[in-house]
Amino acid sequence: MSYSNSRLTPSFNRPPSKVVIRRVASYQDDLEWLVWESLVEFQLQVRDKTVLIKPNFVEPDAQEVINTHPAVIRAAREAFLRLGAKAVIIGEGPGHERDTEGIVEGLRLRDYVGALEDVFVDLNTDEVSRVPTRTHASRLKNLCLPKTVLGADFVVSMPKMKTHHWVGVTLSLKNMFGVVPGNCYGWPKNILHWAGIGRSILDINSTIAPDFAIVDGIVAMEGNGPIQGDQKACGVLVLGNDPVAVDATCARIMGLAPERIDYLKRAALLLGNLQEEKVEQRGESIASVRNPFEVLPAFQRLRMQEGEI
Amino acid sequence: MRVDFKPAVTPWKEAGHLPFREVYCLPFLLRAQNSDGGWGYHPESQSSVEPTAWAALALREGPKPESPQALERAAKWLRQAQMADGAWPAAADQHPGCWVTALACLALSDQTKAPDETVLKGLRWLLDTWPAEGSTWSRLLRQWHKKSGVVVRQNHALRGWSWTPGTASWVEPTAYALILLRNIPDRFHPKGAVRRRQLGERMLYDRMCPSGGWNAGNPMVYGVPGEPRIGPTAWALMALVDYKERAENRASLDWLERNYENISGPASLALAHLCIRAYGRPVPPPEPKLGDLYSENHFLRNVVVAAWVCLSLGSIPSWLQSSSEAEA
Repeated sequence: MSYSNSRLTPSFNRPPSKVVIRRVASYQDDLEWLVWESLVEFQLQVRDKTVLIKPNFVEPDAQEVINTHPAVIRAAREAFLRLGAKAVIIGEGPGHERDTEGIVEGLRLRDYVGALEDVFVDLNTDEVSRVPTRTHASRLKNLCLPKTVLGADFVVSMPKMKTHHWVGVTLSLKNMFGVVPGNCYGWPKNILHWAGIGRSILDINSTIAPDFAIVDGIVAMEGNGPIQGDQKACGVLVLGNDPVAVDATCARIMGLAPERIDYLKRAALLLGNLQEEKVEQRGESIASVRNPFEVLPAFQRLRMQEGEI
Repeated sequence: MRVDFKPAVTPWKEAGHLPFREVYCLPFLLRAQNSDGGWGYHPESQSSVEPTAWAALALREGPKPESPQALERAAKWLRQAQMADGAWPAAADQHPGCWVTALACLALSDQTKAPDETVLKGLRWLLDTWPAEGSTWSRLLRQWHKKSGVVVRQNHALRGWSWTPGTASWVEPTAYALILLRNIPDRFHPKGAVRRRQLGERMLYDRMCPSGGWNAGNPMVYGVPGEPRIGPTAWALMALVDYKERAENRASLDWLERNYENISGPASLALAHLCIRAYGRPVPPPEPKLGDLYSENHFLRNVVVAAWVCLSLGSIPSWLQSSSEAEA
């Protein structure tokens, strides 16, 4: 949907969403084939379109636990090109670090996708346009957003599967914080915290509605995420055409009840499907890959109880 | 015409290590200036305050200004971009004004002359604009966080400057404002400047990570020490250059030196190099790594990065000197 044609659909009027779970042992697996095979199931209309992949880059990290792994990005980029996309751009505006080139060099992104100048856009320094937010859950009302994002035909949110010390989890919806440019709002984008993280997530995702989500849960993070948590080998990729449904599925894999994650519960009203019965699940079953994550004491209440599993 | 950062000459690595600043960075900055006198974050993009301020500061340093006409046009663009209340916006579409106000004032300041009304108006806006930590809402929110078990270890009474109005103090915007204040003679300071400067400096020391260095401004969350980052550490140290001998400065500079060799990006490398030199310590030349990065990515055609690299490779800018050095 991206910016130009995103629309809000109330939950009673929404068709089922489709989510695919793939089991992946490591980043050395044949991800290109796996992602391609998964995308084909969705019959995505991306021919001759400009696709924007929005990964989650925070800071250089040798443990491969903070940032979306470049092997997943390469696999998705190649798959979208094979599906006929006119261009596949990788765009990110890291929230804590101004030296974006330092982050992507630290990640060795160049080794995976080629010359960065041709494929990567630093959303923190892109030209911006001021647009009204489509919902008013927060007090933001409008945002300056990068023209690369506003001009994309098809937006893919590609986060790392992580716990988050303020809102419980950070997945494809929270990942969209990275489209808000640092050059206007700073590092961190503190205006979003003051407007309410959960509420800002809703306003950003209603305005730049991601068309698709691919969650890197091969090596994930548990505990005090999204930066200082511990590595969690979860061994999954989760893909879907509804970011809310993808995030809800990830939460269930993490052993957390999506209905108790405040911003996800709110997102289900207008942005996507939360209930398991409204998600057409393909690939592995949730039960077969469930791998409960450690969470901070403040988020113990999110844990799925016996009857919910 | 497309302005390209890629030079028409042999790449730096193969060209016998030509002077990086003079051969690549300064010409790039001059070519990237827009016809309106400003710079965008990238060549051919809309002029914005931050890249214009940094490009102007980079061009004016050295034995003589690189291009008086370019600087004159930049100053003109900055003056017309000022808002009625004295602030500058980060982008044309953005209001109210924000953190870039300190940079615009710095670029328009000349230490040898009295600041003009444009700069004084910007300075007054900076001094009148407080971050939001002190508000009733903020205090209530902190109480709630305490009850929820969220522990952020910092003294909220020590307020510096925020990125945008109505938000909290952070290290970098506070550093920019302090650098500006240090470069405007005291006799021109509006009322309240001394208090804001002292609070800002104390806030920076309060936000230092436990073992030295700074990140964006959270030294401890949930009892876990924050990891310092190169950029904020360099800016905080440069803002606190008057206190070179303080233990906190020395520990942070030590951290910066220890991590210098592992820096992976040109922006961080330029800032670290500039900062360590501003403190009078020896530092390995950054050109080999800058040259490699430039050959691969052309700094992603980022004007601010090119300006920082220029500043890093030139003489120490006068606005980074400590008060005692400036007096001498």
